[in-house]
Amino acid sequence: MSDVLASRTAFGGVPARRLFDVRDIGKSFGGIHAVRSVSFELDEGIVFAIIGPNGAGKSTLLNLLSGNYQPDTGSLTFDGVDLAGMPAYRRARLGIARTFQKIRLFKHLTVLENVIAGFHIHRQVPIWEYVWPSRVSLADRRRWREEAQELLSFVRLSDRADAIAGSLAYGQQRMLEIARALATRPRLFMLDEPAAGLNNAEASFLLERLDILRQRRMTVILVEHNMDLVMNVADRIFVLETGQKLFTGTPAEVQRDPAVIAAYLGEELH
Amino acid sequence: MLDLLPILAQQIINGLVLGSIYVLATLGLTLIFGVLGQINFAHADFVTLGAFAAFFAARLTGGNYIFAILAALLVGALLGLAINGAVFSPLRGQDETRPLVATIGVSVLLENTALAVLGPVPYVFDSPYSNQVIRVAGMFFTVQNMLVMIVAVLSIGALYMFLKLTFLGKALRALSQDREAAGLMGINQKQLIALTFVIGSAFAGLAGAMLGPVLVLTPFAGASVIVKAFAIVIIGGFGNVEGTILAGLMIGLIESFTTQFLTPGLSDIVVFGILLLMLAFRPTGLIAERREENV
Amino acid sequence: MSDTTSGTSVLPSGRSGDYVRWLSLLACVAVIIVLPFVFRDAYWRGILTICAINILLAIGLDFIFGYAGQLSLGHSAFSGIGAYVSTVLVTSFGFNFWVAFVCGVLGAGLAGVLLSAFAVRLKGHYLAIASLGFAVITYQILVNWISVTQGPLGIYGIPSPPSLSIPGLPEISFANQQMYFYLVASFALLTYIVLRNLISSPIGDALIAVREDEVSAASLGIYGTKWKVVAFGVGCSIAGMAGCFYASFIGTLVPDAFFITESFMILAMVVIGGRGNLWGAVLGAVLLTVVPELLRGIGDFRLIIYGLALTFVALFLPGGLSGVIIQAMRRMGLAVSGVKGDAHV
Repeated sequence: MSDVLASRTAFGGVPARRLFDVRDIGKSFGGIHAVRSVSFELDEGIVFAIIGPNGAGKSTLLNLLSGNYQPDTGSLTFDGVDLAGMPAYRRARLGIARTFQKIRLFKHLTVLENVIAGFHIHRQVPIWEYVWPSRVSLADRRRWREEAQELLSFVRLSDRADAIAGSLAYGQQRMLEIARALATRPRLFMLDEPAAGLNNAEASFLLERLDILRQRRMTVILVEHNMDLVMNVADRIFVLETGQKLFTGTPAEVQRDPAVIAAYLGEELH
Repeated sequence: MLDLLPILAQQIINGLVLGSIYVLATLGLTLIFGVLGQINFAHADFVTLGAFAAFFAARLTGGNYIFAILAALLVGALLGLAINGAVFSPLRGQDETRPLVATIGVSVLLENTALAVLGPVPYVFDSPYSNQVIRVAGMFFTVQNMLVMIVAVLSIGALYMFLKLTFLGKALRALSQDREAAGLMGINQKQLIALTFVIGSAFAGLAGAMLGPVLVLTPFAGASVIVKAFAIVIIGGFGNVEGTILAGLMIGLIESFTTQFLTPGLSDIVVFGILLLMLAFRPTGLIAERREENV
Repeated sequence: MSDTTSGTSVLPSGRSGDYVRWLSLLACVAVIIVLPFVFRDAYWRGILTICAINILLAIGLDFIFGYAGQLSLGHSAFSGIGAYVSTVLVTSFGFNFWVAFVCGVLGAGLAGVLLSAFAVRLKGHYLAIASLGFAVITYQILVNWISVTQGPLGIYGIPSPPSLSIPGLPEISFANQQMYFYLVASFALLTYIVLRNLISSPIGDALIAVREDEVSAASLGIYGTKWKVVAFGVGCSIAGMAGCFYASFIGTLVPDAFFITESFMILAMVVIGGRGNLWGAVLGAVLLTVVPELLRGIGDFRLIIYGLALTFVALFLPGGLSGVIIQAMRRMGLAVSGVKGDAHV
């Protein structure tokens, strides 16, 4: 199976852009390879799922892509930009957003304040101009609040806008994290096990939301355990085992591959 | 040139003696930080109170220095237990700056209460050995200095053996290396932490008993040392016992030499200059994340 | 209960918030104008000025500690830098007061930027100790660099700012205690307003994000290092400002005024008053300036009380006194706005 999937066209006939080029990425911790020689290419508009048994290195891989870890080997190119040595905050500015496996909200701030924090990336006005509020900065502020409200309604948290983030139910906190990340208007959205800890209703809702993002041609990388979710939303799946690529292909192909089935022996694939 | 040798040697000995006291004073800080990740800002005041305990114990027993040392150890241990129970234990898991700020308050409280009770006039702590002098090869050693070195070597050696050979000691080391794993191994963290405070603060008390005859003994004796104590712990590497020992001796030597050959005030600048340089350039063990933060 | 109140305002949001905001501003101005008439003797007018200076110090530290979450234990050192830079420029080099003032403020701000750029990779305790180390070094330099600072003997005869001549009004002399108080209080009020504006803006968003969770802040494109440096630069400049006023107010300058225990006093003001909402710092500054004066008779006991209060608040009242007030107001049913963007005084 070739690593390069036939490009999915973004707008009828026009090939989608190559967004992410990952070559031979590797990372070890204290002599143990968490990720070794991983390569793949990602086109715009694709939902790309990374799955694998526990300890396969999925989160590590995601951290390497987001800049929270720096790779020991290999190269990363995002939309033509070499990401070598680039820290996480700069990758965010390039358009890479992410959520975290362990929820990292600003727990003491309100729900709305959390989302507004995500808009900071769009700030054009220099620091000293905020010393005295001007019409421009106030207009900006108003606009951000409105857009934040829109994002909140996307994740059905509009009625909790003024609640303290830490007081939300677990599933709602996850959705808030998603809303906050979307505030950065990313080109690539990476989610680290978003369905972990969600009940069936919440997971369905998440699936719905991801599907909407997919229809709007958001490029998504999804690290996930929940096979239901993955099989229903992913365009392409990358199977990771002990830090290395085991298989990559469409959901249908992945479900049929004997090596993948063996790796998941005892776990359900659908 | 050759007559410089005895002076140099004298300064080296003085430096080592001073350094030994610094090591005793700071070992507790290192141990506590290794196990808990917290700093007890009142630690230096434990040193002061240990010194006073030794002073009064000696006075009570007509000059029995051994008794004085035991009193200092006891007072230190009790103070450690108290501050763990009052501040660190209740605040486990909260914002990490709170215990530090609380212990700053405790430090101010202790110093000024001691001031109110004991007065600002320095106490003259004469250990029976301060005035006995041995002369070797053109250098002068007070017996007190010898005693300090012996006590330091013995107690640090005892600590070492405890850490390396006993179960509790190993448990302590395990806890300081990886808090989560140690928890999984069924080690009772709360008790271990309390024990660490007892040992660490007892060392502080001991340092006080050693310092009493050497330093000017006022309620603020500890405050003058505390910032240097932090410098030592950072330079040696938080939680790193060997590093602290090395750093303590090094600082003692530096101070001894700068006091002798330059102005005394400069020694502080040199020490803190090194501290800041270490913080800037030596990442191993000095930066909170020894490896990339687990996201 | 959260440790900070993240910009919680006790004012309602929206249009009515606007009116209340302007009203509060007017009230503050009125209070400032009236105070020297209430306290007519020289001693208490001096306390008022010191109070204003302490407010500057406290809100500067709250910006660094309460909003950016950086525990700086050496804040008074920056005050000292501001004081000495401006004073030496005036007394030894004949600079104009206000030029020297700007230099002092910039010098302190620059020192703050350097310290934080330096210590920026450090977390919690390491930063605290680095700042402590910096404060000790600064103090030692002030004491030992006798050719410039006169060391422990100090600098005497520091002049007040030059008189202000506004056409049509009588000349305002700042040697006059009342006028000097108005001067410092105006600066304090203006600084407060500026800080408030910064905090309500995306600047505040960034600082608080860095304080709450630097890792996820980075995922939002917020660069932790930059904002810590900004916080230090701003907060330390304000400390420098306070130092300049202190020097010309007291008239003599000794290094002991900036010993590390002074840093702990400023920290106590912020912690006891409540960090993270600016007016808590003001409250703490006022309390810790005025109450010891009222307790003058008890002498050294006041430091014991400081220690006790600081320990108590750190242990049991993480939100400080302002946190207690806000909780009480909520319990009374008063709508306390938690939305940072609308919080203004």
